[in-house]
Amino acid sequence: MRLVLIPALAACTLLGQSITPDSGLADQAADQASGSADQERASDLNVNSRYTIESINFIDQREYKLSTSALEDIRRLIGAKVNSEALNLLTQRIRAELHAHEVTFKLTRGAAPEAVRVLIHVDRAAGAVDVSVPKLVYNSQLGFTGVAEVSSTLGSNALTFQMVRDSDSLIETMSGIQARYDRLSLAGGRIRLGFEFDAYEDQYNPSTLAAIEGAPRTSSLGAGLPAGLGAGAYGSRLNYEPSATFVLAGPLTLTVGLSFQQLSNLPSAARPESANAVISTLRYHQRWLGSGGNKQELDAGYSLRAATTLLGTNLAYTRHLAHARYSYARDAQSVELTVMAGAMYGQAPLFERFSLGNSAMLLGWNKYNLDPVGGNRLAYGSVTYGYHIMRVFYDAGSVWDPGKAPEARQSVGVGVSSGLGVLEKGAFLLALAFPLQDGHVTPVVIAGMNF
Amino acid sequence: MATTLICLGAGGLGLIAMTVSSQGLLPHQASGEIRVTAPSLHFLTGKSLSRLHDGAAVPFDFQLIISSGSKNNVVARSLERFMVSYDVWEEKFSVVRVRDFRKSGMRLSAASAESWCLDNLFVPATGLPADQPLWARLEIRTVEPKELLAADSGINLTTLIEIFSRPSRPQQDRWSVESAPFQLASLKP
Repeated sequence: MRLVLIPALAACTLLGQSITPDSGLADQAADQASGSADQERASDLNVNSRYTIESINFIDQREYKLSTSALEDIRRLIGAKVNSEALNLLTQRIRAELHAHEVTFKLTRGAAPEAVRVLIHVDRAAGAVDVSVPKLVYNSQLGFTGVAEVSSTLGSNALTFQMVRDSDSLIETMSGIQARYDRLSLAGGRIRLGFEFDAYEDQYNPSTLAAIEGAPRTSSLGAGLPAGLGAGAYGSRLNYEPSATFVLAGPLTLTVGLSFQQLSNLPSAARPESANAVISTLRYHQRWLGSGGNKQELDAGYSLRAATTLLGTNLAYTRHLAHARYSYARDAQSVELTVMAGAMYGQAPLFERFSLGNSAMLLGWNKYNLDPVGGNRLAYGSVTYGYHIMRVFYDAGSVWDPGKAPEARQSVGVGVSSGLGVLEKGAFLLALAFPLQDGHVTPVVIAGMNF
Repeated sequence: MATTLICLGAGGLGLIAMTVSSQGLLPHQASGEIRVTAPSLHFLTGKSLSRLHDGAAVPFDFQLIISSGSKNNVVARSLERFMVSYDVWEEKFSVVRVRDFRKSGMRLSAASAESWCLDNLFVPATGLPADQPLWARLEIRTVEPKELLAADSGINLTTLIEIFSRPSRPQQDRWSVESAPFQLASLKP
């Protein structure tokens, strides 16, 4: 059985206020307007209040984690007339949630006449330190996974430090740290520079070690195969990763960079081996909050990692991964579709190999039962229907190696997902997943937070 | 009708530290009221102008003071808050007198919006000494968004007096301009 927890998105209400004319001036009483028309006019002191809000976005294109109620406030404002007071209250609220120094808004012309776009600018210059738990998962088959994060922003400089123990997302179980520096705003916010350093200690499932030991020397498992026990399994991993992200057009971004990975404590090699790659990711992420109460989101991307001898790598390979996730929500109902496809060529280390059967993909299956060393081909799809806090999902996918026929795996599940007030930003999920297979079917309980 | 507070004595002036531009204020009299023009004064500038171009409504607090005998002897005062905004589609300014929002100027240039504010700020000439030198002084302050949120009950005369009685905050834009000494009888209509 598995347990997975997902944080709750919290709630408070937007208290819209409008400037009202003072009624305490006796000598102006005769001049004071009265009646509903005047009251209505009182909130129209901004000439732009006659325009309709077409969209609300962050200027810097960053993905800020806001409470569900803040997002709900944003949704309510879209499609309504501009209300300066409501926008001021929204920015104050975002400022409080993000611990920002200042949050302001800007109106620009919309695509349609009489419509405007609201762009929110977050200035985190105060250097406030945020402590959070971006991911917390317990899986009775895969073990505990947790990420604790400390982050701070000084002007346009963001520092993030994470302590990680992850037995879920990769074939290896990794424990270590991630430290990242980001220069957030260059060229008017269109370029972001970053540098990440990771250091992990790695452990392996016995089935993984057994599979590596049994793998032929010419296989594509990489990292010093085979030569003894655990060949291909490194004991520690260092990663140095400079990158630059370019905002190409609105929600479309391109990230390019280099990843210098050093794999140490290899039973098969006296010296560390390297997996140095050029990395690039093209990503489109857009939310649409319709005035009719519907909410749509599309997150799609393609990433390429190419380890080439030009970078002095011991392991040369290319890894392609494409994904798309679309969600639609209206009133109490929601639908989410996810597709993913990947392919890898050459001698890739274990951390690059694809796996399914974890807490995020092909729920209900055990990744070590599907393929203990992962595969270099991936196909996956998922559909989730939600009604209020209820969730029903269907997953299907396969990982395989070239020369072998892919075997489609399926699972279904039912659960609840909801916000918990005390957790503020995040969601909680409790689900029961069933791997669809012949013979005995063991349901898997999943409880998760923030993943 | 404008709000006017007659202060006999120096107490109402307050101790506001600000840069004073001397003799840039030109008073004139019309229909028994003293009004002013300030051709060289431009307050739709800098940070406030940026906020306006961003589509925000920016409030400006105005205080017109008339002194008699000496600059510290305030004999009349008028206070107003004007809400200025900038139409992001038409690229024109709009001004509303907050305590009487039926008074407004629409589709104005920056200079016209500034003039509109001064045109709607005046003190009655009634009761002012006709045989003593008078000074006019105009003070303008922006209102920070935080202050605006705190003032949930709107703006009133008491609030404006309090605002002008305390030093402005460093981040507040403020302007001050004075007239040369004049006599009521010599003012041109």
